[in-house]
Amino acid sequence: MKLMRRPFAIWIVACLAWAATGELASAEWQALGGFMEEAFGYRAGDDNLTKHKSFDMAEQRLQLKDQYTFDGEGLLSRWRSVLRFKGDFTVDEYFAGETDFELREANISLTPASFMDIKAGRQVLTWGTGDYLFINDVFPKDYESFYIGRDDEYLKKPSDAVKLSFYPKAVNIDFIVIPYFTPNTMPEGQRLSFFDSFEGGIAGRSSDRFLVSPAWQPENFEYAGRFYRNFSNTEAAVYLYSGFDKIARSYKDEAAHQLYYERQDVFGASLRGPFAGGIGNIEGGYFYSPEDPKGDNRLIQNSMAKFMVGYEKDLGHDLKIGFQYFYEQTLDYGAYRAALLPQDFFWDEYYHLLTQRITKLFRNQTVAVSFFNFYSPSDQDGYVRFSVSYDMTDQWKIVMGANIPWGQGEQTTFAQMKKDKNIYVRLRYSF
Amino acid sequence: MNKTLFFIVAWLGLSFCAVHAAEMGADEAAQKASHMAYYQGKDGRSSVTMVVTDAQGRTRERQMTILRFNIQDNGDQKYYVYFYKPNDVKGMSYIVWKHPDRDDDRWLYLPALDLVRRIAASDKRSSFAGTNFLYEDVSGRSITLDAHEMLPGDEKYYVLKNTPKDKAQVEFSYYKTWIDKNNFIPVKAEYYDKEGKPYRTIEVLEVKDIQGHPTIVKMKAADLNSGAFTVAEFSDVSYDVGINDDIFTERYLRNPPSQWIKG
Repeated sequence: MKLMRRPFAIWIVACLAWAATGELASAEWQALGGFMEEAFGYRAGDDNLTKHKSFDMAEQRLQLKDQYTFDGEGLLSRWRSVLRFKGDFTVDEYFAGETDFELREANISLTPASFMDIKAGRQVLTWGTGDYLFINDVFPKDYESFYIGRDDEYLKKPSDAVKLSFYPKAVNIDFIVIPYFTPNTMPEGQRLSFFDSFEGGIAGRSSDRFLVSPAWQPENFEYAGRFYRNFSNTEAAVYLYSGFDKIARSYKDEAAHQLYYERQDVFGASLRGPFAGGIGNIEGGYFYSPEDPKGDNRLIQNSMAKFMVGYEKDLGHDLKIGFQYFYEQTLDYGAYRAALLPQDFFWDEYYHLLTQRITKLFRNQTVAVSFFNFYSPSDQDGYVRFSVSYDMTDQWKIVMGANIPWGQGEQTTFAQMKKDKNIYVRLRYSF
Repeated sequence: MNKTLFFIVAWLGLSFCAVHAAEMGADEAAQKASHMAYYQGKDGRSSVTMVVTDAQGRTRERQMTILRFNIQDNGDQKYYVYFYKPNDVKGMSYIVWKHPDRDDDRWLYLPALDLVRRIAASDKRSSFAGTNFLYEDVSGRSITLDAHEMLPGDEKYYVLKNTPKDKAQVEFSYYKTWIDKNNFIPVKAEYYDKEGKPYRTIEVLEVKDIQGHPTIVKMKAADLNSGAFTVAEFSDVSYDVGINDDIFTERYLRNPPSQWIKG
C-alpha cells in the first residue's frame, strides 16, 4: 500500500474537491515536467546472501511533476495557494520487473495571513545543518537508495503531514503534525545484506525479522517543531520532536523476531554561519527514550546524546571541501550493560564519526566529481561514496559512481554493509 | 558690488563644474557605471535567459527570474534568483546577501530535497550557473576592490583601466571598461591575463529606456581562448515594484513570492 494511504488520500480529495468548486480560475497547470531514468548497479562485493549475486539495481523510472497556482478572485487565490504534485513510476528488474508508483509529493501550500503559511499533504521534510548526517532531522530517510546509488533526492522519503509556519518578528516557527508514521527504508536482506541480531551476523534473504510500525491512531501522531532566526548572518535554531525512532531498534517479541519503532522525544539546537572563510555549523540533540527512561530495559533503545560540528570551504575554481565530526553517546550505559543477558549483542557507549567531502566541477560546471568519505575511528569502519556526473546536454545526464562500505566487524553501521559494495551508472533524460 | 561678487562666484562655480565634467575622475566614472549597471531604482525585477554556446557550437539554456533590492546605493544589496531552466533545476531558488566589503551570504534551496543549503561563497569569480558570466558579473564587483585609472577615450566613451588591489583574489591582471558618456552605462569590459593579453570580454548588445532608466537588456560574455560565449537577455524588466526585505529569507526560498515569480 505504498500508493495511497488513507490520511493522505483524504487530504488530496479534500483539496481537489475544494479546488473544483469554482476555484479553478484563469491560471493553468504548468507544463508537465520530470525525467526518465535508466539505472544499473553492478555488485562489486561477493554477496551471495541477497536475491541477485551480480547486481543490486536495475530499474527504469519515470518521474512526473506539476503544479497549479491559483490565480483568480477566490479565497485560494488570495491565499496564494499552490498545488504541487510529483510521482515516480518504476519498473524494477531486481524484483522481476515489478512495477510501482510512488507518490513523492501531493500537497497544497497556503498563505492565509501575512505571518503564516500552511503546507498540507505529502511532502518531503528536512531541517538541520549536517551534510549526510542528521541529528534534529528526524524525518524518514531511504538508506537503501543511498547505498545503491540512486539520486540524493531518494534519500529523503516523503511524509504525510501538515506543516504550519509562523513568522512573527522575533522568531520563525515551524510546527508539523505527522498523523501517519513513515519509517526509514533500511537494508532488509533482499537487495542489501545487513547485520541481523536474530541471525547473529550479516544476513540476506534468510532474514525473517518483522518490523512493527505504530498503529494509526491519534495517540501515535508525531509532532515536530523548530524555532529559528538569524543573528546577523548566523542562523540559530531550536528543535523539538515527539514521535518514534525511524529505525526499528527495540525488541517487541524476541521469539517471533519482532522489532518495533520505540517512542522518541528529541530536544536539540544548531548554529550555522560564516566561519574562517567558509561555513561552520554545530548541532546537538538529546534523544529521550520514554519507554526506557532509566536505560535498564535491554530490549528497548536507551536515551542518547548526539553532537556534530562541520566546516565547508570554497577553495575557488569550483572546488569545495567539507569536514564533519559526529559524536554519539548512549546514556545510562551502565544500566544497559547490567541488564544484558550473556548471549546478547550489545552496542558501544561512545561513537565517533568523521566525514570528508570534496566536490570539483569541470568544463563549465557540466562535469561534477564528488568524493564523500565516512570514517569511524571507534567502530573501525567506513563508507566511501564516489561519483562523476556529466550534463551532456540540458536534457541528458549520465552519472557513474561507487559505494564502498567497509569494516572490521559485522555489527557496526558500515561494516554490516561491507558485502554491499557497488558500482552504478544512471542515464537520465529531463523534460 | 554684491551683484558683481555674485557673478564672480557664479562664474567661478560654473567653470569649476565645467572643468570637473571635462575631467571626470576615474573613481567617479567607475562609481556611476556601477550604479547604472547594478543599482538603478530602489528594487528591480527581470526575467533572464542565458544561452551558452560552447567551443563546439553546442548550446545550453538557463532561464530565471531575478529580484533585486538595494539596502544602500552602491553598497549592500539582496538578490533572489528563481530557476526555470534547465529542467533538472527547475524550482531551485537562490538568495544572495551581497556585501561589497566582505564575503556574500548565499543560500540555495533544492526543492527535491526540501533542503536549504548555506553556500560557502568566498570565490565570487566562479561561473554563474555554468555560463560565461561570473557571480561578480551578475551582482557587481565592488568598485573599492580595484584602482581606477582614466585612459584616453573618445567623444562617446570614457575608458577606464581597473587594476585589482589584491591580485591573489582574481584571475585577471587588469581590465578595461568603456563607459557611455551620455548615460554612464558600462558598454564593454575587456579582461587581460598576466601576459597582458585579452582573454575575456563582456559587451552590451542592447540598451533600452525602462521607466526612465537606461537599462541593459542584452549582453554577451565571451571566453576568447576557447571561443565559448554566453548571451544574456533581460525581459520584463521593471523598477520599484515594491519588493521588500522579507522575501530574501528561508520562508520565500521554500515558497517563491508569487506576485513576482510564477512557478
